[in-house]
Amino acid sequence: MHVNRTRLSWARPAIAATALFALLGAEGALAQEKKVPGWAQGRPAELENSPLAPHPGKMTVTPPDQIPLDQIQLPPGFKAEIWAHGMPGARMMTRGDKGTIFVGTRGIGRVYAVTDKGTTREHQIVTEGHYQPNGVAFRDGSLYVAAINQVMRFDGIEDTLPKVPAPVDLTNAFDLPPDKHHGWKFLAFGPDGKLYVPVGAPCNNCAVDADVHANIRRYNPDGSGKEIVARGVRNSVGFDFHPKTGELWFTDNDRDWMSEHGPDCELNRVSKLGENFGFPACHANGILDPEFGKPGACDGVTLPAALMGPHTAPLGMRFYTGAMFPDEYKDQIFVARRGSWNRTSNLGFDVVLAKLNSAGTSASVSPFMTGFLDTGENSFWGRPVDVLVMPDGALLVADEQNGAIYRVSYGG
Amino acid sequence: MSPTAAERRRRGPDRAIASKRRAAAGVLALAVLLAAAPPAGAGTPAGGPALEELLEGCAQCHGADGNSVMPDVPSLAGQPATFLETQLILFRERLRRSEAMAPQVKGLDDPTVIALAAHYAALPPRAAPEAGDPALLALGRELAKAGRCGTCHLRDFAGRQQIPRLAGQREDYLAMALAAYRDESRGGADTTMIDVMRGATDAEIEALAHFLARQGGQP
Repeated sequence: MHVNRTRLSWARPAIAATALFALLGAEGALAQEKKVPGWAQGRPAELENSPLAPHPGKMTVTPPDQIPLDQIQLPPGFKAEIWAHGMPGARMMTRGDKGTIFVGTRGIGRVYAVTDKGTTREHQIVTEGHYQPNGVAFRDGSLYVAAINQVMRFDGIEDTLPKVPAPVDLTNAFDLPPDKHHGWKFLAFGPDGKLYVPVGAPCNNCAVDADVHANIRRYNPDGSGKEIVARGVRNSVGFDFHPKTGELWFTDNDRDWMSEHGPDCELNRVSKLGENFGFPACHANGILDPEFGKPGACDGVTLPAALMGPHTAPLGMRFYTGAMFPDEYKDQIFVARRGSWNRTSNLGFDVVLAKLNSAGTSASVSPFMTGFLDTGENSFWGRPVDVLVMPDGALLVADEQNGAIYRVSYGG
Repeated sequence: MSPTAAERRRRGPDRAIASKRRAAAGVLALAVLLAAAPPAGAGTPAGGPALEELLEGCAQCHGADGNSVMPDVPSLAGQPATFLETQLILFRERLRRSEAMAPQVKGLDDPTVIALAAHYAALPPRAAPEAGDPALLALGRELAKAGRCGTCHLRDFAGRQQIPRLAGQREDYLAMALAAYRDESRGGADTTMIDVMRGATDAEIEALAHFLARQGGQP
């Protein structure tokens, strides 16, 4: 396995020479630029000294009166309310058979359970102290949780809540790579009853073993029977299955530091098992990577069904299968875009609608839920990260920044 | 007997800190008492122990002005508030494990975390020591450039938001923290730092710590 990672040691030969020069009293004259790390390859001059860095998350509770709900904008006839709050870092959602909403997180290491009490919701911590337990899925009475280095199953949890059953540890059965960077997981069960698990590239941009990193796999629920479903996927943190065809559609976060304006993040459709989506050689709609993209590197690569904007971080996505929204939304995709950091002007921070073409092979993207981003001030107050369709047809939207879940409804 | 710096590094920061604590058991007992026996006090937003009492406990190790004079214990003065909040919560949630910090942060509510972070963020960091080993400084400077530390920590290493101030931090603490990222023993760590530090040698860490401890970025 060859993994060309970003690390200090890539510069070691040059550094060793410098140290020697320094000891000899000569300073500086480094052939350093020849040893640029993978993630900085192709970085244009204007980004060389860029101070762009990920925006900080918020680890403390945000009271609901500090959530500016009135700034949210939706198409006519839709409205948003705060459905649940007080859960710092709330990310990916799944719904139990009996209606409990389970919510994963990253930094704060918790999984929450939200119980609907009619007019109000209560939440509790299901499990805590994990390393970025982002992935949650529910099947046959069991909650599955995936952290960076852990897979757990909580059997019969809806029958015992608020008491939480001791989890069954499936970590060894799934045998996922131990890498931390881009190692947080999304989880979902397919119509085939398999558990789908993405494994991101452990870097911004690097050569990977396509059977180990930068792919989406599926397993039997017990962790056996691993198959690679999609390859060349840099970092997918959201997917769903077409309600009619059963095809897997997934979002993918494209690489940083190549340009502020690209490559775009992606919405993809898997039409055959093991399909190649291009990472690290071919990005977005056929952009060759400056380091890995030799001529012809996009041959045989499946290009996106839709471009999702540069650095916008499209994460959780679901097909709309409810009956509440107008017909035009039926079987279309809602995508939560967490929003950019690797560009000067913030972009994303919204929920968009991806409308499929008649052949069901590509999609056009339009705004749906906006107002989290103030483009004039280049500031944001919320970060949508996942969506979930409820049995009544309402759409839940998780806001990681405020630890809140909004309910978007139509009419009434 | 006090462990050497290399031994401390191998064993990881938290255990090393704990052994220091045991060596200063009286101080620890006082600090634990202050944090773990909340009187019916007012002063914190949620009515736990008064902020002043908590701060007395913090000061035992981190210094009354937030500038640590205790080996392996980081200075907090001038650290970005969001960074301090995040670390306190990682300790509280037992993601970043520390025998020394666990009793101090147990049950701390969010408003108290925010108040403690704001307190230390507002304190002026001590001036960095000026003298250093020229060869180590040169190597550290090149490594910081090669690792592009300044992209996130800013070019003067003053840090920002969730990203810590490195300038003027204690050299021994910096070396422990960098080794902990490399060894993946820093719980709840930012994954980018794990990626950056993978494969770094002890000598590189020593040079980076030596260089960064002697930078004077303003908060």
